[in-house]
Amino acid sequence: MKGFTAREGSAVAELDDEERMVIARIVADVGLLLGGEQFGMDAPVDRDAGLDDADEILRHLRGLAEALAEPDDPAVLRLLPSASREDREIADEFRRLTESDLRDLKVERLRTMWEQLSEDGPEWEVASGDAMSTAAALTDLRLVLGSRLRLDSDEDAERLHTEIDLATHALETDDDETLPVDPERVWLGMLYQALTWLQESLVQYAIGAGDGADDGPEGADV
Amino acid sequence: MSTQEELEREGAVALQTADAWVTIVWNDPINLMSYVTHVFQTYFGFTRHEAEARMREVHEHGRSVVSTGGREKMEVDVQAMHGYGLWATLQRSGE
Repeated sequence: MKGFTAREGSAVAELDDEERMVIARIVADVGLLLGGEQFGMDAPVDRDAGLDDADEILRHLRGLAEALAEPDDPAVLRLLPSASREDREIADEFRRLTESDLRDLKVERLRTMWEQLSEDGPEWEVASGDAMSTAAALTDLRLVLGSRLRLDSDEDAERLHTEIDLATHALETDDDETLPVDPERVWLGMLYQALTWLQESLVQYAIGAGDGADDGPEGADV
Repeated sequence: MSTQEELEREGAVALQTADAWVTIVWNDPINLMSYVTHVFQTYFGFTRHEAEARMREVHEHGRSVVSTGGREKMEVDVQAMHGYGLWATLQRSGE
């Protein structure tokens, strides 16, 4: 995997087939978590047949019911957080007004990412103007993984890095019999770290591209 | 430049008393410092210096007031922050 770098007005990263497949899979999962339709052509058969008006209405009804209550899943709550910690009226009003738009925004960004990752070849090209919306979609993926990994504090995040270092070391020294952490947690944690690294490279690209575009050739900000 | 910033800050204080709502961004262990700074800079139009100061306040003190104004405007700002994956809330100023 190579992080995003500037290339002819775009940000380009390089991922091998397996990396693309894994990230596309988590993108699709988070899309479903947000109530989006299955991405791509391989929609499950039961959904294929049922995309008629009645289903559409049922989906909206379900959306309406969900919109009036806080999501049960902590990962979804992290994607669509409460707009007030104490005032229920403010939180409910905000959710009623914005949740549907926020869901749509997030699902559409994920769909775009999924389509880019489903193209052939190792390059993942993001147009300069889409860098921050892609970085935001990467944030959403990391929020969901972070929730599943129970990263609730800065200390939790640091502990995860330590756990992964320990597990990597144990694997390298063939000492995995005494692996101190759950392998699935290590796998998710490594995926989380890879997405963090990709996002950081994309943000650095956006900062560089923004400086160039906003300030003109003079670089007047300095 | 510092004079301009002082004026802007005085203006912000005046708004705070008139409109009486604020947008607060809360710390979380997921969001990257560079990303949060860039979001503050591009969405709120802060200078890089100001955006970094707000980001550090979030990171070190757990929260930062990032905008002040009427409730509807704060709802727009909170929605934008949620769009970026930052946790923001709105409340009356001074609560």
